Amino acid sequence: MVLLEAKHVSKRFGGLKAVNDVSFTVSRGEITFIVGPNGAGKTTLFNLITGVVHPDSGSIYFQDQDITKLAPDQAAKLGIGRTFQIVKPLGNLTVLENVMLGAFLRTSKPAQAEEEARGILTFLQMEKFLHLPARGMGLPMLKRLEIARALATQPKLILLDEVVAGLPTVEAIKLAMLLKRLPEWGISAIGGIEHVMQVVMKIADRVIVIDRGVLIAEGKPQEVVDRPEVIEAYLGPKYKEIGL
Amino acid sequence: MSHRQFIAAAGFFLLSFAVPLVVHSDYTLQILFRVFLFAALGLAWNLVGGYAGQLSLGHAAYFGVGAYGLALLSKVGIPPWLSLFLGVGLAVISAAIIGLVSFRLRGPYFALCTIAFAEVVRLVAKNLPDVTGGDVGTQVPLLFTESSIKSFYISGVLLTALAFVLTAWIERSKFGYYLMAIREDEDTAMSVGVNTSRVKLWSLLISAALTAIGGALYASLFLFIVPDQVMSLDMSVEIAIVPMLGGAGTLFGPVIGSIVLETAAEIFKNIFQEAHLLIYGVLVVMVVIFLPEGIAGTIVNKLRLFKKAPAGSLAAPVPVRPEEEAERTAFRK
Repeated sequence: MVLLEAKHVSKRFGGLKAVNDVSFTVSRGEITFIVGPNGAGKTTLFNLITGVVHPDSGSIYFQDQDITKLAPDQAAKLGIGRTFQIVKPLGNLTVLENVMLGAFLRTSKPAQAEEEARGILTFLQMEKFLHLPARGMGLPMLKRLEIARALATQPKLILLDEVVAGLPTVEAIKLAMLLKRLPEWGISAIGGIEHVMQVVMKIADRVIVIDRGVLIAEGKPQEVVDRPEVIEAYLGPKYKEIGL
Repeated sequence: MSHRQFIAAAGFFLLSFAVPLVVHSDYTLQILFRVFLFAALGLAWNLVGGYAGQLSLGHAAYFGVGAYGLALLSKVGIPPWLSLFLGVGLAVISAAIIGLVSFRLRGPYFALCTIAFAEVVRLVAKNLPDVTGGDVGTQVPLLFTESSIKSFYISGVLLTALAFVLTAWIERSKFGYYLMAIREDEDTAMSVGVNTSRVKLWSLLISAALTAIGGALYASLFLFIVPDQVMSLDMSVEIAIVPMLGGAGTLFGPVIGSIVLETAAEIFKNIFQEAHLLIYGVLVVMVVIFLPEGIAGTIVNKLRLFKKAPAGSLAAPVPVRPEEEAERTAFRK
């Protein structure tokens, strides 16, 4: 069943076509990864879906509802959560409070928000950090905090922008294994990723490859990495020799 | 608010109400009224400037509208107390207009926009002599008849208590979390479904209402007001400096700030005569340099260094503790 559908979406910033006539769909309970080199348009695509920017042409549907012109807070209310590539913790609030903030979208009671936040932080193995201020936490924990806050809004779809970028490989894979469990809770995910192909191969149900704003391939992870145009534009010819 | 904070606050307000039983000097009571007035104004400003982090330098507009609302409406025959509340209503309406425009801007541009609006309000009041009396000023009715200064003092304490309780409640509510989220990062706040424009506007409306009550009390005590006094940039700045000095975004900050700043101003006036503004300025600069999080903010952070405070309410920037660093390093390994 289709959860999100983008139809011929284009976005231009001055002379740059950041996203050029991109169409794709995301099904319920599926983890999709958008891969592409730096500057390919992944973050712009996420900003288009979450209403931070609006497309010049084309339209986006979420659960058959047109969300092309929605504001970010309305998108969140509909059930689209997101994390930021450059982490944006609420530095002077504690880890717990950061996550409670997300939970407040579905409840007005602080006690209930706290309970939900604790549950999510336990899932992400962050119980130790509950009362520490988010300011000054290490990057691995800040990446998790981004996910925790987004999960607390009880999204149906979560957009994970470069969620493992900058993490040590071991930590990246640990996190990926946690994320793989999202569909168990009925949460679909779209990940955006530049270079950690191991993570993509491990947890993605489907992969979309974009290059310079254009969608160049989509399909199951293994099929996609075998395609010549993907190897050409993105992975590089040596990729086959290393193998994954 | 923790248990201990609650007892401290309750004790403080009970003592404050009892002050007129001991102090009979009109001069002292007038200074104490000023202390509480600015504590209340600081608490009001703190909702917008401290918790939501929107540096408003135009609160004199609401102060002035409250003051002139009382003066002008009672002039046409409306009873003083009703005029006061209608004036508060007018201040809330002007806050809605000012907020809708200025909250589109962020950071310093927002601050400049609030200054501009307050100046517009002041210039309008100056240049409508038929309505406001212009530069000549206008008379304000007395809100209390008997033992006037004591009543003003008590109403000042009441207003502060009201603003304090309101702040304590907001701080622990969803609304309070949303305000703090906006201060910390507006984009993040939006990504978790916070309608940031609406939340900011609500905080300004509450803030403007409290500020306008303060303006009316102030005007009624002095019985006569001119635009350059109640709507001046100096007034806006003072309303903002009190909580900043005490600790913006903390519950106790504005009260502490007002006690320190207003008593210091009065003492300096008596000791240093003409040089008092210089000394006052030096004091403010020293605090900004050495206690950037304000007095309350600094104390809270120092306390947090010793024990793991269940933080939240007192969300002042915190330096990294050694054991945190150790935990983090351990995690990285």
